[in-house]
Amino acid sequence: MRLRLNLPAFVERSLRRKVTALVLAITVLSLGLAAGALMFYDLRAYERQFSSDLLTQAEVLGRAAAPALSFNDPRTAEKDLSVMQARPRVLAAALYTREGRLFATYTRPRVTAPAFPVSAAGEGYAIADGRMEVYKSVAENNERVGTVYILGVYDPWDHLKDYLAILLLVMVASLAVAAFLSGWLQAAVTAPILEVASVSHQVMEKRDYSLRVHRTTDDEIGELVDAFNAMLAEIGRRAEALRSADQRKDEFLATLAHELRNPLAPIRNALEILRLAGNDPVKAEKAREMMQRQVGQLVRLVDDLIDVSRITTGKLAVRKVVFDLRSALRDAVETARPFIDSRRHALDVRLPREPLPVDGDTTRLAQVFSNLLNNAAKYTEPGGRIELAAGREGKEIVVSVSDNGIGLAADSIPLIFDMFMQVDRSLDRAQAGLGVGLTLSRTLVELHQGTIEVSSPGKGQGSTFTVRLPASYTRLEDTTGPAGRGANETPGKRVLLADDNADFVNSLGQLLTSRGHEVRIAYDGAEALEAAREFRPEVAFLDIGMPKVHGYDVARRMRDESATAHCMLVAVTGWGQEGDRAQARAAGFDRHLVKPVDPSEIEAILESSA
Amino acid sequence: MSAAKLARAWLALALGLAAAIAGAQQSSEPAVKAAFLYKFAGYVEWPVPPQPDAPFVIATLAGEDVAAELARILPGRAIAGRPAVVRTVREGEPLAGVQMLFVGRRVPDPRAAIRAAQQQGVLTVTETSLDSGAAINFLVAESRVSFEVSLEAAERSGHRISSRMLAVARRVLPKGAP
Repeated sequence: MRLRLNLPAFVERSLRRKVTALVLAITVLSLGLAAGALMFYDLRAYERQFSSDLLTQAEVLGRAAAPALSFNDPRTAEKDLSVMQARPRVLAAALYTREGRLFATYTRPRVTAPAFPVSAAGEGYAIADGRMEVYKSVAENNERVGTVYILGVYDPWDHLKDYLAILLLVMVASLAVAAFLSGWLQAAVTAPILEVASVSHQVMEKRDYSLRVHRTTDDEIGELVDAFNAMLAEIGRRAEALRSADQRKDEFLATLAHELRNPLAPIRNALEILRLAGNDPVKAEKAREMMQRQVGQLVRLVDDLIDVSRITTGKLAVRKVVFDLRSALRDAVETARPFIDSRRHALDVRLPREPLPVDGDTTRLAQVFSNLLNNAAKYTEPGGRIELAAGREGKEIVVSVSDNGIGLAADSIPLIFDMFMQVDRSLDRAQAGLGVGLTLSRTLVELHQGTIEVSSPGKGQGSTFTVRLPASYTRLEDTTGPAGRGANETPGKRVLLADDNADFVNSLGQLLTSRGHEVRIAYDGAEALEAAREFRPEVAFLDIGMPKVHGYDVARRMRDESATAHCMLVAVTGWGQEGDRAQARAAGFDRHLVKPVDPSEIEAILESSA
Repeated sequence: MSAAKLARAWLALALGLAAAIAGAQQSSEPAVKAAFLYKFAGYVEWPVPPQPDAPFVIATLAGEDVAAELARILPGRAIAGRPAVVRTVREGEPLAGVQMLFVGRRVPDPRAAIRAAQQQGVLTVTETSLDSGAAINFLVAESRVSFEVSLEAAERSGHRISSRMLAVARRVLPKGAP
């Protein structure tokens, strides 16, 4: 539970006033408590002392008056009592006989006689109305002969007056000291804090993160100042990083728009040529080739974009199997070869004789090395030399791609793997790309628990990228190539394709038919169910968002019917979240593909369903 | 505070009750005189006796009513650290072991008895007049008992009486007086 004090507004808003108020409050409180306790004690002590004083006087009086009491002589007794005149505080006194009867009295001159008690009470004292009365029994020769009664003025407040005056003086002095101390506290504690507050205010106003608070003390407040300065520095760094990331993104968008538009002009030209060419097969063929190249470029750009979004959302995933890395390297060379050749570079590939077993994703690793090769070709003047070398170093497999191109300045080496980073902006736009290749490569290598680094002797002196991957312990057969198991070995399958996107499903159908499969196509859920019943497919690719019957429902019903219960069901969706996958599994799907679907993935599934 | 007041009130009530009873008993003149005789002993310096544990004897001559009151109050009381007892004597009877002698007013001429007692170191008390030669004599005025002292007579029997007692005596005859 938190105690919340309702302070006045002018105190609430100022640390300095709070400190002063606190110091003063503590001073007044402690002095007040101490004074209260002392006064209480003093009053008690005064009462004890005064009563014992009166009792002593009563005792003395009793001794003197004992014979008068003994021999029943009131006149002598009154004479004895009159010695009380010497005590100004005694107002009246009386003697009582042994039996308690009033025997003799004394009243101070010029004082109205009090009403003496009719009979004596037991020994002791009582206080009432500023008076104290005491009773003391009188003994003589071991015989009780009577009781003495004394009535005195009891005025402790009179006695306390001096006391209070001293207290007031102490209070004033203490408050002065407290005020002085709070002033000192302000200088030592609040002043640095107030400076922190003022600097933070300035930072908010001017957005100037280079401001710093001057450290004046070595205590916790000094540490606070240091921490505050460190935070300012960190915020400054982050603001700068955000600004530069934002700038890179802007540049990327401009590049992207440009890159996406570039292939469209030649495609449009080719279409025009096709229209005009009529029956000229040579012209038509040239136009088709041009379109194919440009579409290939567009596909590559869009693939890059998809990879960028996967990297930024952290969805990039790899499917690992143990395989020979040499096959991925060969694939990469094959992919990059046309571009390398077009730049008239000499490519030197050095692979070892023994296999390089790696636990990883074949396609993704091939992508990494083709990226590196393309990069080398791009940043080397035409007619350069590129070298790809691979080998085993202990538990690691090391692949390096070197060139004799434009190289890197030392200060740009740490930045080269950043997203949208392009070292040479003067480069021909046609070759530029999106600047995501190296970022993607590094992310993929790290997903394989590997490292990637770059070294360069300097600008214009070429550069070397080195990838290190952990070697797998599994032994591999020494195969000559990755395409050992040809597509022709796979027997044809009965395949059902269901999707409301007719272009996609028709083209895919043609492709699969050409590979020797028996294909049936459906354009909505109802059609798909009907086809499934009579066609009895071995594999079915079902779109989820189909008209009439939803993909999940189609899957459930196919699972329920004995004819199609054992069909391999593959969901094809635009969503790849874990939740979507779980929902597909629940509906009875065996596999899950995210659009856009790569034909090779479909081929892999058909092979695995054997 | 209220508990203390209550206790005091209760005590006052108890004392008052006791006083009522005592007053009824002490109102008689012989009772007062017996009490005075006992109290006189407290103001007199007594010589140390040959046997320290011998009783302190107050003798009465022709004062049966006073003797009876003494016999009532003395048991259990001590004078000068010795148990106090009363003894009744006849005229001419030897006063061995007696410290104080009370002579009643029915003795026609107490002079001889008083002189004899004084010679034996006995403090003498009468209820007629100091003229008989006694050290202390009771006076009665308005039914109030008081006493007078002759220092000369007390000296004769070898006793010294405390000035505190003399302060309440109605009359004190100094030394040198008859």
